Amino acid sequence: MQMYTAFGLSINSEIELPPLLNSDTQQADIQIIIGKVNKNGLDTPAKKGLFSQLAANELWLHVPNIAWFYVTDGNKIVVESEANADAQSIRLYLLGSCLGAIMHQRNRLVIHGNAIRVGDGCIVFAGNSGNGKSTLAAAFHQRGYDILADDLAVIDEQWNVQPSYPQIKLWHDTAKKLDIDIKGLKRIRFQVDKYAYPIKKGFYNKPLPIKAIYLLNNHNQDEFLFEPIKGVDKFNPLRNNTYRINYLDGLGLKKQHFKLSSQLANKIDVTRITRPNDGFQLDKLVDLIEADLAKNEGNA
Amino acid sequence: MSSITTPQANIYWLASYPKSGNTWTRAFIANLLHEEPEPVDINEFHTGAIASGREWVEAALDFDINELSHDEIDLLRPAAYRWLSQQLETPGYHKIHDAYTYLANDEPLIPIEATKGALYLVRNPLDVVVSFAHHNHCTIDKAIENMGNSKFAFCSGPKRIHNQLRQWLLSWSEHVISWADAPDINTLVIRYEDMKNTPIETFTHMATFLELPNDIDTVTAALEHCKIEKLQAQEAEKPFKEKSAKAESFFRKGQVGDWQNTLTDEQIKLLINDHRDLMQRFGYLDNHDQPITTYSTQE
Repeated sequence: MQMYTAFGLSINSEIELPPLLNSDTQQADIQIIIGKVNKNGLDTPAKKGLFSQLAANELWLHVPNIAWFYVTDGNKIVVESEANADAQSIRLYLLGSCLGAIMHQRNRLVIHGNAIRVGDGCIVFAGNSGNGKSTLAAAFHQRGYDILADDLAVIDEQWNVQPSYPQIKLWHDTAKKLDIDIKGLKRIRFQVDKYAYPIKKGFYNKPLPIKAIYLLNNHNQDEFLFEPIKGVDKFNPLRNNTYRINYLDGLGLKKQHFKLSSQLANKIDVTRITRPNDGFQLDKLVDLIEADLAKNEGNA
Repeated sequence: MSSITTPQANIYWLASYPKSGNTWTRAFIANLLHEEPEPVDINEFHTGAIASGREWVEAALDFDINELSHDEIDLLRPAAYRWLSQQLETPGYHKIHDAYTYLANDEPLIPIEATKGALYLVRNPLDVVVSFAHHNHCTIDKAIENMGNSKFAFCSGPKRIHNQLRQWLLSWSEHVISWADAPDINTLVIRYEDMKNTPIETFTHMATFLELPNDIDTVTAALEHCKIEKLQAQEAEKPFKEKSAKAESFFRKGQVGDWQNTLTDEQIKLLINDHRDLMQRFGYLDNHDQPITTYSTQE
């Protein structure tokens, strides 16, 4: 058993979770245990998917060739590994879908995105996989910004983003683009050319109020577009960028999520960024976001 | 052609090698189903997600796939398509550029149980190569090489995440034969040249196969809306989102026989050598190895 801390909670885990920071707390908010998971799923699922089943406070998930997971009450994950599964793969799904579901069960808003510190608050880069969230966060880190979270931006009831853990996952090509030598880095799984980049300096380990969300998109044109989203139009992008939104209905949390998203929409700036898909032009994008932040700061 | 269908088989695949009339077909379907007098916006066809669409497949699986390898994802795709097909209440029309291939476990990538039918569009490779070179902003010679490459795939690089899943295209000939001779699925093969030369008959045939409105007035009106000049005019006004960033435009010429103005004798010879059997089978070569330039309707 090892005690960790992430997302403002203490996690007692029978499975090693190396990217997470250790904690000396005695009281665990979340237990991760190795045990038996019913192969047929839940007794009375409210929603039955291909590999997932959901009910109030319960998620059952089967990731073929990796593991079965049972996530319940916002405080417990049971893992049963498949025969030939490796620890790295199991860990990825624990830190992704499973902890994501735990946060939903705890009534947290979970945005699929990366958070960086800007002044006394933070901003979140959200978007579908492959739209450059981690790349952008890593580029900001290289310019001296602190990293708060990679992949899951968990927002608590005080509208703070909670720190995740000091690591960004980078594809081989992204590391190259950022002049990061992959030789010293570990692959996140041996099956993929993606690496765990440890944030040795510049990880911010305290919650910070969320100021803005930038939604990342791309198009086949040459120009960069920055479109501020106003009023009720903010709601759908927040919904669409909620981590594993499909879990909410089965968990019985749709109404609660609607309420939280609407409240968040009232508090923050939401801007859609559309960049050219041909060549990332990373430096230019970082410059443009810095300029946009300075402008919004001026307006505040 | 045999046909095995189950009650859950709700997907019609709109299958083709790239640059063979797939977008035109989707424009036609979108306009067939559109009840307004104006043509459908080229960026709003909404005929159904592409088979290699990352979000479409992930929606079925309900877990992240962005950190799985291409091979691992492929093994999950048949189950995803079966599930997605089950969710459909009316037939879905889904574009696919993957060849009809078998996975490491011998299961077909495209499961029979999800497949109501496959409309396969084939086009003279001498014309495909010219359009493909424009689309990818590469030389004709490079496009010839890709069309002859049995290992050719889209989105296959392992060093980054791609907006679509890996698609094995194989060589042009292998692509055509994989679908045209796919066992057990209900397939209609249509030539691009017939879509151009005898549009009403050909598109009516397609609409009938796809269980879409097929009366002459509806077909004629839909065809009018997706004439190449009209698609070009829309693209001139507003960029088409499916264009590759490097290409100047997506809707280019759409002509039959444009290769005669573009390809060198050497390039024509190379393509014929690579694809002789299939070119003969689909009426693109005569018995003397000469490319055919005028088409009669082929049944």
